Amino acid sequence: MKQVAEGSQAVSEAVRLAKVQVIAAYPITPQTHIVENLSEHCANGTLNARFICVESEHSAMAAIIGAASSGVRTFTASSSHGLAYMHELLHWASGARLPVVMANVNRALGPGWNIWLDQTDSLSQRDTGWIQLYCEDSQDVLDTTLMAYRLAEAVNLPVMVVLDAFFLSHTYEPVDIPDQKPVDAFLPPLSPRFQLDTANPTAFNQFVAPQAYMEMRYNIQTAMQQVPQNYNRIAEDFKTIFNRHPRLAEDVHCEDAEIIFVTAGTTVSTCRQAVDRLRQAGEKAGLLKLKMFRPFPIDFFRQVLSGKQKVAVVDRNCSFGATGIFSQELKAALYNAESPPRIFGYIAGLGGRDVTPQTIEDIYWQTKNNDCPQSENIWIGLDQETLKSWRN
Amino acid sequence: MTDYKTADNKIPLFLPHSSISTELNKTGSWRYVRPLYDEKTSPCSAACPVGEDIARIEMLVSQKRIQEAWQTILKENPFPAVCGRVCFHNCEGACNRGGFDDAVAIHRLERFVGDAAIYGGQAPEIKTRPDNGRKVAVAGSGPAGLSLAYFLGRLGYRCEIFEAQSEPGGILRWGIPAYRLPREVLQKEISRIEKLGVTINCRSPVSGEMLQAFKTRYDAAFIGCGYGRAIDLKIKGAQNAINGLHFLSQIRAEEAVPVKGKRTAVVIGGGNTALDVARTLVRMGVDTLIVYRRRRQDMPAFDPEVEMALNEGVRLKELLTPIRIEAVSSGMADRQAPYVMTLQNMKVSTTEIKGRARVVPHGDKTEALQVDLIFSAIGAEPEAPWHQAPTGETPCLDLSHCKLTNDDIPIAYGGDLTNRVKSATDAIASGKQAAIALDIYFKSGWDAIREAVADCQVGSGPAVSMAMYLGEERKNRNPHIVSLNEINTHYFKTASRVIAPVLSPGDRIQSFLPVESTLSEQAALAESRRCFNCGICNACDYCRLYCPEMSVMVEGERRDINLDYCKGCGLCVAECPRNAMALKEENI
Repeated sequence: MKQVAEGSQAVSEAVRLAKVQVIAAYPITPQTHIVENLSEHCANGTLNARFICVESEHSAMAAIIGAASSGVRTFTASSSHGLAYMHELLHWASGARLPVVMANVNRALGPGWNIWLDQTDSLSQRDTGWIQLYCEDSQDVLDTTLMAYRLAEAVNLPVMVVLDAFFLSHTYEPVDIPDQKPVDAFLPPLSPRFQLDTANPTAFNQFVAPQAYMEMRYNIQTAMQQVPQNYNRIAEDFKTIFNRHPRLAEDVHCEDAEIIFVTAGTTVSTCRQAVDRLRQAGEKAGLLKLKMFRPFPIDFFRQVLSGKQKVAVVDRNCSFGATGIFSQELKAALYNAESPPRIFGYIAGLGGRDVTPQTIEDIYWQTKNNDCPQSENIWIGLDQETLKSWRN
Repeated sequence: MTDYKTADNKIPLFLPHSSISTELNKTGSWRYVRPLYDEKTSPCSAACPVGEDIARIEMLVSQKRIQEAWQTILKENPFPAVCGRVCFHNCEGACNRGGFDDAVAIHRLERFVGDAAIYGGQAPEIKTRPDNGRKVAVAGSGPAGLSLAYFLGRLGYRCEIFEAQSEPGGILRWGIPAYRLPREVLQKEISRIEKLGVTINCRSPVSGEMLQAFKTRYDAAFIGCGYGRAIDLKIKGAQNAINGLHFLSQIRAEEAVPVKGKRTAVVIGGGNTALDVARTLVRMGVDTLIVYRRRRQDMPAFDPEVEMALNEGVRLKELLTPIRIEAVSSGMADRQAPYVMTLQNMKVSTTEIKGRARVVPHGDKTEALQVDLIFSAIGAEPEAPWHQAPTGETPCLDLSHCKLTNDDIPIAYGGDLTNRVKSATDAIASGKQAAIALDIYFKSGWDAIREAVADCQVGSGPAVSMAMYLGEERKNRNPHIVSLNEINTHYFKTASRVIAPVLSPGDRIQSFLPVESTLSEQAALAESRRCFNCGICNACDYCRLYCPEMSVMVEGERRDINLDYCKGCGLCVAECPRNAMALKEENI
């Protein structure tokens, strides 16, 4: 049934429907509503889960790792500094092959103290062995969260569902919240492949010598590489039951496009509108929605982008001293492809600054009017007056 | 739709796991230092003249093991209820808690434990050695003689006490007023000693000739006759002054004293006897003044006694010494006090002798006082020369609390005759030390005594412990005395020292009822929990809680280290709140 819901509520409703058994979380703006909704569900019995109050995000993930090791379905949520504080245990959760699901609301890191949208928090966790799925709107958030459990439990890797601060977490829009029955059909109870069991005492994840550590890492990589095909298969199941198809990446008007935007999060929606306007003006613009960032779906991108002329990546993040992270990844994915396109990397909308359809159109024209990128990272919309003031 | 069970679970998993426990990994092999339970000496027990195991006693009280606490006192002292009242508790001055908030009220706890046993009707379980056939004659049934008989009785000797007075107890019975030590309490504790098989012959004074006769009938003798004779005032008219010690014994014997109808009295002296005489007089309605030749801070009396006396209305004049007493002419005596005492004003000289000020006459300044009664309490001395250890040819062993000679039979001297500090507790200590010394003599000979006595010293202090002499577990204690900076005070909260219910000064002087009451059980338990239990394992288990290897093993009250797994990290030693542990380097 369709309801007007916040992005935060889309997460918490999906968690309720997934019949999660243990939740541990520490509140941080703009993630707070997710945790508040879930604690209410636990308190009033609409979700039969144990809600563990913790004193930090580090402890939240530690508690979740403990719970998941005992073979139950788990959830946590965080953002920005909270996620950074979890970092050590993010590695542990994936190394221990625990099918944990968490929501991360993309928020800028301080200083300067800023609570608005920025993708650097989740992208900093790129190498922790977590699957990362970015969401465009609230429906996408709900669907992706349900998908995340099936996927995590299929490959025994943790999944991070990522949504934009405020533009998604605090924005109300119509969301189809499914009934329990179809969700149960899509997502059966977790049947763990290993678990702590007092009847059969076993120690997990102890010392591993060089003779075996590398194979253990290779096993994680193998599992990661099988994620896209598993995702696609699960997405087919999802489509059968819910009649929506949450693809790992989506191409819009790419076939004949001369300039293709690549971006993630709510910026995808803005891009859709800009592409429509450009198409109406006779421009051959296209869009590639990046949903799955880890594992990076190299095959998909090569297939869509090989032979194309130009790609404009819009990054709401920056790896200082290099470029925007999405553009970096895309360049790496396409370097060995046949006839790769020119890749223009744009950095825009950091720390909650607006990226409007006009911003996207400006990027389009800048890309069109240059054969090659003027720089490997082009910053959009910098305030020249401010720059002048600190240059003096 | 695919079947999730077959479709989803195809990813291979390669995970480290094992079904054996980490016990396989004997982390003890990493160790280069090892922790051990190393119980040490608490400062209170080292300061106690009889070396009571105070840290353990308070631990037992805090665990509501009152009977065991009592038994633990009885190992070192047959007089818990008496000492809880009359001892001036050096222990509290040494208490580490004093540097944290306030010293633990050890004497009040001792009194509580002693009374709980007396009024709970508990019989002691005193381990005694079988009768060894040896007989010991004891002159004097004061605290020293009774203590000697008690400890020798436990060691298997038969003791016979000869007491000049009509009842046993010495200074405890005759010199300490009832408001400090009720007769009943003393009687109960003496009876307990008699039940051990000690015979007390009252009205049987020992003479020098009898002592010679003892040499054929007994295997050893003990002289604990105390300071029986008061030192006389050596001034003109001294015969008009009443002997303070004699006065106190008359009061305890309920004999008639010449106080009735008298309004004013002067007590000369600054010791405990002077204070007791003055406090007795105010209870009989006499306006009493103490005159002392030095200052209050120089008085040998224990300060809390001085404070209580002043609260009860006794007045004190310092720096005055009597030079003569004259009777007022009989014509005037009807309406006026019968004596005029002339006193010389004194002043403090610049040099000090042993902490007390040296005083010298302040020119020829004098004062005159007209009073009804004059009491002299300026000290006492042995009554007969043979009460003291002979000097000269006879071999004499001078120990901290007693002296021993070997003249046909071994003869020990104790109590006030040999003690530097003249107190009941020191007298008890001397009896115990003499008992141990005599037992060593009979077992190993004269030459072994000094070393074997030193072997059961508490810490490095003067006290000897019977429990240590008997080779009990206390023998294993490290003599190191725990200081406050060795206590992990993070484990303790400040708590105020217990106050015992006490009569108001106005009520006190109406009767000879005890001034202070015994603590209630609730108050005693709370007070005992304030004790740090310095150097003693009280099974608090912080070692066990913090051990990362779960290597602390529990066996009843005992804790042990499982050296198979202990890595020697030392956390247990650092966390031990009371320094009952130590780290020792491994011999690698």
